[in-house]
Amino acid sequence: MQAQLSSLSGPLLARRWVQKNLFSNRWNSVLTVITLTLFAVIAYNLLRFVLVSAEWESVDVNRRLLFLATYPSAEEWRLWPPLWLFSGVAGLAYALWSRVSRREIVILGASAAFMFLLLAEGSNGALVATGTLIAVGAYAGGRRLRETRYDTTARRVAIGGGVAVLPLALILLNAGDGVRTTVWGGVMLNLTLATVGIGFGFPLGVMLALGRASSLPVVRLACAGYIEFVRAGPLILWLAMARFVLPDFLPTVGGLDEVDLVVRAMMVMAGFSGAYIAEVVRGGLQTIPRGQREAADAMGLNAFQTTWYIVLPQALRSVIPALVNRFVSLWKDTSLVVVLGFVDLLGAARAISAQPDFVGRQAAALLFAALVFWTVAFTMSRLSLRIERHLGVGER
Amino acid sequence: MTSQQTQPAQGQTQRTGRDMIVVEGVSKWFDDFQALRDVTTTMQEQEVVVVFGPSGSGKSTFIRTLNRLEQHDAGRILIDGIELTDDLANLEAIRSEVGMVFQQFNLFPHLTVQRNITLAPQKVRHLPQAEAEELAMQLLERVGIPEQADKFPAQLSGGQQQRVAIARALAMQPKIMLFDEPTSALDPEMIKEVLDVMRELAESGMTMIVVTHEMGFAREVADRFLFFDDGQIVEEGTPEHFFTDPQEDRTKLFLSQIL
Ligand SMILES: Nc1ncnc2c1ncn2[C@@H]1O[C@H](COP(=O)(O)OP(=O)(O)OP(=O)(O)O)[C@@H](O)[C@H]1O
Ligand SMILES: [Mg+2]
Repeated sequence: MQAQLSSLSGPLLARRWVQKNLFSNRWNSVLTVITLTLFAVIAYNLLRFVLVSAEWESVDVNRRLLFLATYPSAEEWRLWPPLWLFSGVAGLAYALWSRVSRREIVILGASAAFMFLLLAEGSNGALVATGTLIAVGAYAGGRRLRETRYDTTARRVAIGGGVAVLPLALILLNAGDGVRTTVWGGVMLNLTLATVGIGFGFPLGVMLALGRASSLPVVRLACAGYIEFVRAGPLILWLAMARFVLPDFLPTVGGLDEVDLVVRAMMVMAGFSGAYIAEVVRGGLQTIPRGQREAADAMGLNAFQTTWYIVLPQALRSVIPALVNRFVSLWKDTSLVVVLGFVDLLGAARAISAQPDFVGRQAAALLFAALVFWTVAFTMSRLSLRIERHLGVGER
Repeated sequence: MTSQQTQPAQGQTQRTGRDMIVVEGVSKWFDDFQALRDVTTTMQEQEVVVVFGPSGSGKSTFIRTLNRLEQHDAGRILIDGIELTDDLANLEAIRSEVGMVFQQFNLFPHLTVQRNITLAPQKVRHLPQAEAEELAMQLLERVGIPEQADKFPAQLSGGQQQRVAIARALAMQPKIMLFDEPTSALDPEMIKEVLDVMRELAESGMTMIVVTHEMGFAREVADRFLFFDDGQIVEEGTPEHFFTDPQEDRTKLFLSQIL
């Protein structure tokens, strides 16, 4: 069969394929024609918009606005070290933990390059390029160290570096005169909020899920109560609360009159996604057969070890698609910080229509914002597929 | 009725006579259903005891109380002199002295065969990784599948998986091994390879309690049989006693059904 097919010439093969898949009967032929027509109309309009009517100039001259929005140019230097550290950690971690496939690197690299090269301009360009070089260098170094006797050390460096990114950013942002975080904005704000929201929301969610399955009634009730309470309100409500209500509840530290608004937004993002992630993880915990815990108990592993080495890895693996779904949602929900007065990517795109040169013409900018959201979301879902396949080894 | 432990006459191995497991008047309830009724027996070091009886008679519950996967509600259990109580220190000591092999293997599907074996020695006994891996390889040799070390459980046959489970339990260097129907989830052609490993283990002097209905194997390796019914030890004695001269009607009936 196989041999027969491959002995046919190319065009003939294509014709067979078309006949078999598109025009196998009357009904299929009708469907094919309708679908193709629709597709052609949409493609034509989209292309016409992208190539002819869209005013890409509005995006081009506003690259800085979309990238950093209200963040002052003179203070940009504070952003680069944490960003470079993040690039380095990302490259190193990827080299150490991932099973590499060339296709995946291409996808990741292309979307990162797309994001930053499109957004960067002038002096930014050199700094973005430096970050990219650091990531590539760290990746190359990581590949070399992997599975040598420095492997463990390198992994510790990567984890330590990852943990240090946020404190470093906060220190730099407050050093000297400091920058008020209320001027944060653009894609950087979305990325920061999403990273922190996932970075803290995920462990929080795991702990809440474990707590909800705990045998201690107090813990169980507290966790269930938190989850139900948080899920009862829309994110936009919690963000508003962060602005107007939360300050009364938080202690004031270091002489600040109130906890920073961006930090409050981060807390809400993490706390909110934690509640949803908890329910996803709980679903995963329920898929673990009782025999797994029994076997671990019988070998003398304690409760923590059983959870950490046996239960969680399996539970999380079984819910990767749902988890990534939450992460993608969170990424797009970062746009809701407009209610706190921030100008994020979407806010910046909309602000463009208020500029004298581009009054009322925001289509191109909105399309561009959509493209950036899509790029990151798509990258996440590709990565998750990859992780799934990687962890799927030996499943069932 | 219970002919007590007075006839260890023809044990396959030289025994020291030290009491390894002492069970005194143990009862266990699941809500208001009584699964164990006043069970009393003693097992000596290096003894091999086979437990059998009808489904639901409490065999699993009985051996699971011996490593406290189930808690008993009345009576006393001593493992190598340590009493099973709520005391966590005792529990820890017991768990590392008693290995268990389950009907469904219960291997960790996300870990390689080798990692299944090295995990507990490394985390509980704090064995360095290299030593743990060496130990794992020795044990895999012993159960006859050293070449499977890097595979995942799902890539092995049932018989191979159960042999890994045995190696995994042995890695904690237990003094007692509990087997709960280790071959009943296996295809017939794989039963022998597992029984062979268990036979070798019995010959090496391991104290073993085996729930099984493989009567040929049981007769060959067991020093003593316990016949369970309705949560009680109905009859107890040497294999010869059971095959030639069972006393209780329930025993006779059950044996006539399975032989
Ligand atoms: N967790 C539990 N909750 C309630 N009842 C239980 C539980 N575990 C066991 N039982 C009951 O206790 C009785 C003894 O069960 P056990 O599993 O010990 O029987 P068994 O002799 O091992 O049977 P089998 O040959 O089918 O494995 C059964 O009636 C069972 O329904
Ligand atoms: Mg049973």
